[in-house]
Amino acid sequence: MILDLHAHSIKSDDGRAKVENYCQWIRRKELPIDGFVLTEHRLFDFDSDYQPLADEFDLCILKGSEVETDYGHVLVFGVSQELMDALDFTSIRLPLARVLEETERHDAIAVPCHPGRTRVGMCAHVEERGIVPGVRIIELYNGGSRGREDAAAHLLAEENGYQGIGGSDAHIVSHIGRCATRFPGPVDGEASLVEALRSLDFEAVTWK
Amino acid sequence: MSEKSFSDVEFGEDLPTFEPDTSLANVTKFAMAAKMFNNRFTDHEAARKQGLPGAIVPGIMSQAILVAMVHRWASNATLEKIDTIFRAPVLVDMPHAVSGVVTDMDEEEQRIEIDLTLENAEGETRVLGTATVRLS
Amino acid sequence: MEIDELKKDWLNLDFDEDEFEVEADQIVDFATASGETTPRFVDPSDPDFQAPPTFVTRFHNRLLLPEEFPRIGLPLDAGKAVFHKRPIRPGSKLVGRSHLHDIYEKTGRSGRMIFLVSRMELYDEGVLASIVDSRMVIREVPTE
Repeated sequence: MILDLHAHSIKSDDGRAKVENYCQWIRRKELPIDGFVLTEHRLFDFDSDYQPLADEFDLCILKGSEVETDYGHVLVFGVSQELMDALDFTSIRLPLARVLEETERHDAIAVPCHPGRTRVGMCAHVEERGIVPGVRIIELYNGGSRGREDAAAHLLAEENGYQGIGGSDAHIVSHIGRCATRFPGPVDGEASLVEALRSLDFEAVTWK
Repeated sequence: MSEKSFSDVEFGEDLPTFEPDTSLANVTKFAMAAKMFNNRFTDHEAARKQGLPGAIVPGIMSQAILVAMVHRWASNATLEKIDTIFRAPVLVDMPHAVSGVVTDMDEEEQRIEIDLTLENAEGETRVLGTATVRLS
Repeated sequence: MEIDELKKDWLNLDFDEDEFEVEADQIVDFATASGETTPRFVDPSDPDFQAPPTFVTRFHNRLLLPEEFPRIGLPLDAGKAVFHKRPIRPGSKLVGRSHLHDIYEKTGRSGRMIFLVSRMELYDEGVLASIVDSRMVIREVPTE
């Protein structure tokens, strides 16, 4: 099963894509992905129910979040109200160590994204302040990152033994599915996604 | 250049692309028409002194180029909204390409949404946005 | 700089008003330089001759931000949205009124950034002709 693990809809301040249009695009362009995760900036969208769209287009549509930490941006999968009570998702200065600790405690998982980008990615911060224990996965392929930024992510993963995911970081419809993550088995919900990620048995793929 | 009706358009359709004229002479012409007198748009050396890699295309010119692509595709298109994000500088005298693709068609309202991007020769997105148009 | 405080003090208050004249030769130069080929934008003899929809982005009020707005850094152009309401033709005298429409923050490639959305509403003979949202970003200078 292939999922684009990093996409934004109009629920994000800089997102310009409607979820329905992502679905239409995937099907019309016959993209080789089975679904995507909406990782809205600094929030978790409890309100929207995408199941009717998922059924209509036979796609897996899951929800996560992209939070901002002292080591750059981080995708969070398996978000619950309890996790949001423990972490202020709206803050732009969350300590990464705390995000890792709280996600672990609340059956979620944190994945630093676009690590090769300056400031918003963890590479430069690691160079300055060293690694943060607890990171197991980073985003290896990001649809919005430049070649050298993805290369920096690969180097970071190699040096630290991190596993890697892929995500398009789409903000407009036509950017969905540029990068994704291939899982050996089915993923059918947020809990199942967390489990699949924790198994570390997956592979980042790109069509950039 | 051609007129189009709503039924001529298909979801996922690519707009014909064109290479925008980002020469110093043309950008200077635009900057003068737009009353943008900062020499970062019209003088490579002055731009370098401001810490830029060279003269840059004004953001509003990039935006206007994307609108021109929509009108080249459908000359009768009435633009209702365009929202552009300037991600990185567009450099003067460097080749760039614009692209557009239909990503939403609202039959009831007869509105069409188009994703727009302006990329440099390395394929890096410098400007992206969306436009909402009606075909009358 | 606390965002909530800025919002409370500055959102939705008109801070500037100016008048702008629309001239045919400027329309033609703006349109042709940006690659327009449609006669109604490039040919003053076209019966429907008008400014391209984003022509209004060339109009700036005297002030970028309210006069008393805290000096937190140099605002850079991060994006623009234009809501086109009706054709603007040469000879029009537009009245532009500006207010701060939104303020928010996020971290970017160069650190913490504060986004200010300045909205200019342009009126042609009292009727709203266009809205221009200018997104400005101010990069916070690290204090360490």
